[in-house]
Amino acid sequence: MGLNGRWRFFARSLAVRPRFAVGYGLVALAVLLGLFAPLIAPYSPIEANSRAFLQPPGPAHWFGTDSVGMDIFSRAIYAPRIDLTIAVLGTLLSACVGTTLGALVGFYSAGRGPRAWLCNSVMRAADVLQAFPVFVFAIALVAVLGQSIQTVVLAIAFVNMPIYLRLMRSQVQGIRSMRYVEAAQVAGVADHVILRRHIVPNAIAPVLAQLSVNVGWGILLTAALSFVGAGVRAPTPEWGSMIASGFQNVATGQWWPSLFPGLSLAVTVFGFSLVGASIEAFSDPVRRQDLAAAMERRAARSAGRQLVKAGI
Amino acid sequence: MRVARYLLQRLAFVLPQLLGIVLVSFLLLKSIPGDPAVLMLGPTATPDAIAGLRAQMGLDKPLTSQFVLYVGHLLHGDLGTSWQTTRPVLDDLLQRFPATLELVTFSLILAIAVGLSLGTLSALRPHGWVARAVDLYGLAAGALPDFWFALVLIFVFYSAAHWAPAPLGRLDISVIAPATITGFLTIDTLLAGDLEAFRSAVAHLVLPVLTLGLINAGPIMKMTQSTMQKMLAADASRYEALCGIPERLVVRHALRNALPPIITIISVLYGYLIGGAVLVEIVFSWGGAGQYAVQGVLNSDIYPVLGFVLFSAVFSLVVYIIVDLVYVLLDPRLTH
Amino acid sequence: MRPARVSAPAANDPASGALLRVEGLDVVFPTASGGARQALNGVDLFVMPGEILGLVGESGAGKTTLARSILGAPPAPGRIAGGRVLFEGEDILRLREGRLRRLRGHRLSMVVPNPRGELNPTLTVGEQIALMARVHLGLDARAARGRALDMLRAVHIPDPERRMNAYPHELSGGMAQRAVIAIALICDPAFVISDDATSGLDVTVQAQVLGLLRQLAAEHRSAMLLITRDVGIAAHYCDRVAVLYEGEILETAPRDALFLRPAHPYTLLLLAAFSHNPELRRGWSAAWSTAAEPATACRYAGRCPLAQPLCRTETPPLAELAPGHAVRCHFPVRH
Repeated sequence: MGLNGRWRFFARSLAVRPRFAVGYGLVALAVLLGLFAPLIAPYSPIEANSRAFLQPPGPAHWFGTDSVGMDIFSRAIYAPRIDLTIAVLGTLLSACVGTTLGALVGFYSAGRGPRAWLCNSVMRAADVLQAFPVFVFAIALVAVLGQSIQTVVLAIAFVNMPIYLRLMRSQVQGIRSMRYVEAAQVAGVADHVILRRHIVPNAIAPVLAQLSVNVGWGILLTAALSFVGAGVRAPTPEWGSMIASGFQNVATGQWWPSLFPGLSLAVTVFGFSLVGASIEAFSDPVRRQDLAAAMERRAARSAGRQLVKAGI
Repeated sequence: MRVARYLLQRLAFVLPQLLGIVLVSFLLLKSIPGDPAVLMLGPTATPDAIAGLRAQMGLDKPLTSQFVLYVGHLLHGDLGTSWQTTRPVLDDLLQRFPATLELVTFSLILAIAVGLSLGTLSALRPHGWVARAVDLYGLAAGALPDFWFALVLIFVFYSAAHWAPAPLGRLDISVIAPATITGFLTIDTLLAGDLEAFRSAVAHLVLPVLTLGLINAGPIMKMTQSTMQKMLAADASRYEALCGIPERLVVRHALRNALPPIITIISVLYGYLIGGAVLVEIVFSWGGAGQYAVQGVLNSDIYPVLGFVLFSAVFSLVVYIIVDLVYVLLDPRLTH
Repeated sequence: MRPARVSAPAANDPASGALLRVEGLDVVFPTASGGARQALNGVDLFVMPGEILGLVGESGAGKTTLARSILGAPPAPGRIAGGRVLFEGEDILRLREGRLRRLRGHRLSMVVPNPRGELNPTLTVGEQIALMARVHLGLDARAARGRALDMLRAVHIPDPERRMNAYPHELSGGMAQRAVIAIALICDPAFVISDDATSGLDVTVQAQVLGLLRQLAAEHRSAMLLITRDVGIAAHYCDRVAVLYEGEILETAPRDALFLRPAHPYTLLLLAAFSHNPELRRGWSAAWSTAAEPATACRYAGRCPLAQPLCRTETPPLAELAPGHAVRCHFPVRH
């Protein structure tokens, strides 16, 4: 289609499916807020003003203040720095390791012999890994490795790796049996070149769709870990720990310390889910056709409207 | 007889898997820093006392023999002791696991009701507003943190409207728990004829069940939607419509044929929720097994965690086996 | 071979008094590239009460599309773009959902090909047949089951009590076909469409099934549209025959007239292909070609051995050659 054509297709599809546009917008907003928080935030995110604690939302503090007097709005827009970084790093790590392993396992798992046995063992190990209660496993990892941002990233990576492993493996197994791969093998092309040139590019589409959704899950897991005190430590602004610090206040009727961080979190994850749905729609040929048809209809309608306006 | 043989075959596969899970958990949890002897005796303990307790607990032996010892105890039904509660882990879990199970079971029922109905409705009219709303609901439900949603519900229905009881456990403080028969408060209170306790148990279940049920209805809904769409477009459904069979019967038959993958998702969800309800348990002070395990990890108390992982894995496996048996009942093609 | 029965039509309108009347039916299918393909183009036919009309055509001519469109359910993703289907005075294409549902399976039913692919795999055959009686005739479970059993006996399924409780995948092709016939006939419909109901069956089973259909139609006094690719079947079982080619009716005639005095070149070709006369077969076989034909005014002109320049520029209308014998051709063959 050409790079230019692809961008045009993308732009027009956003017009036809407004929900995709909303998704990309929300993700962009989160990224921008994280990047430019120091310029936008009215207060410092870690400065506690003990005289202004638990103020309800108002003109001075748009989201109110929490129990030690920190401005919730400032903290809420600083939080993407931590949450997004951890989630993206963790997801990318799990995707790289998982897809590499999955491609290898999918490629070599045919027949008998030591290679196939090794592939089988990897899959059984992944089974065992996935049989764990996810959250308990993540907390245990953090406990073992020590509580820090790096370990949270590792926990997210570990927990999500089996997904990419399985996804890539089933994709590669499907493509491996195709004619053009057989032809390359018969022609004596080296295995790793086949994988790189022929198999991976064709297998990668569902992985890309999964990436965005996974970042959303990563944010949720980071927040959950911080909520129980096993993730990012106070006073670093992070959505989950902010919700935790406002936990007791909810029962006494102060809803704002927990509500706003959670809302920001939910909206951001929602944006990532929509982006993932859009990637899925772009990579599935059937749905791409639906999109193309919808774009034609829209173009036809606007052309018709122009004719009407011109008085024809 | 066929059933018994099938079960034995499954067990043969399952036992090595269980062993693998226990091994990995054991190694992982033993790596958590923190000396249990020190934690149990407190900061005033003398080094001799600590050394003595370590020898007594077998902590100075190599890991492999500790593991073998552990498995040996497992086979006798001894899951170790929690240094926090100072009770056998098995007893602790037997007390807490039913609480989690009750919460998760009712939540799953709600999730199934919501997921099946909305998924079917959106499959019937794939371009209508119901389908679009259902899509958005699925995405939104997956984006909400369950612990946050629980707080929102608590604020709305307890702090503001005063309809729901305080989020402090499974019963009102003033109510006495009935004798434990099943561990399910809803059942035990009815069996004991204690209607006030029953009402209290139900009232305390409402908010956590709403939280878990509404949030986890998403996967069931999506699977129902996609499978029902395929079924309703299939030849058999079109033929029934061609024969003048009313729509509700066509839908009912399509649903019956669509059940296998939906049941698979439900079974996976059931196993997942046992561990996945942790955060809601914490918010509502539920006293469940997941909460128990999390406290174990945070306090380097590893036997509760091991015990919980074991319970949860065994539960999942039992659910999968039951589901496979249900498949055989549902689809006549499998038995012939 | 039984003598063909042709009801005496009214002087000016051959179709008056028809039980089923299709007028100008257009069905359109969207193509992958965004355009539309005309699957049925202005199809006209009628069936008198008690008569068996045969519809012959090659694969892809639109036979199944026509059959299902008559019931108001064109195969997906087709769409009815115009025309009327009058059944007992009502236009099926304009009926409300509820009325349409009550008609289908009850007054107007269809025998489908590939029954094992269309029956519900998780219901027993008996349950599916009885369901028709319960839904359309309001019978209770026991009465419906009894009637289903009677129907199974009527279609000569051996050991019907046991077969009642069988699932579709346990039946052979011939038995599944009989089950589908039972479903179509249990409510005593006034009109039955048999869509290629015997292709894929052994020849002997085919003869049994068709004979059964004809007998049951006579017993129930229903009219029938017998759709088939096999000209021989049309010759044996039908009173009148229509020829369908690429969504258009090329010729309609009483059976004897069609077989003894075929007027359309395509009909001649069809008959020649089945003929025992080797010269005839050789003579007409050269006209078959599989190359893509450019669109011409007369749809058949691309393959027609008798095509004239006019055929490529002007679409021939369906014109009456003799009483009851209509043909869509500028230069019909005269005998």
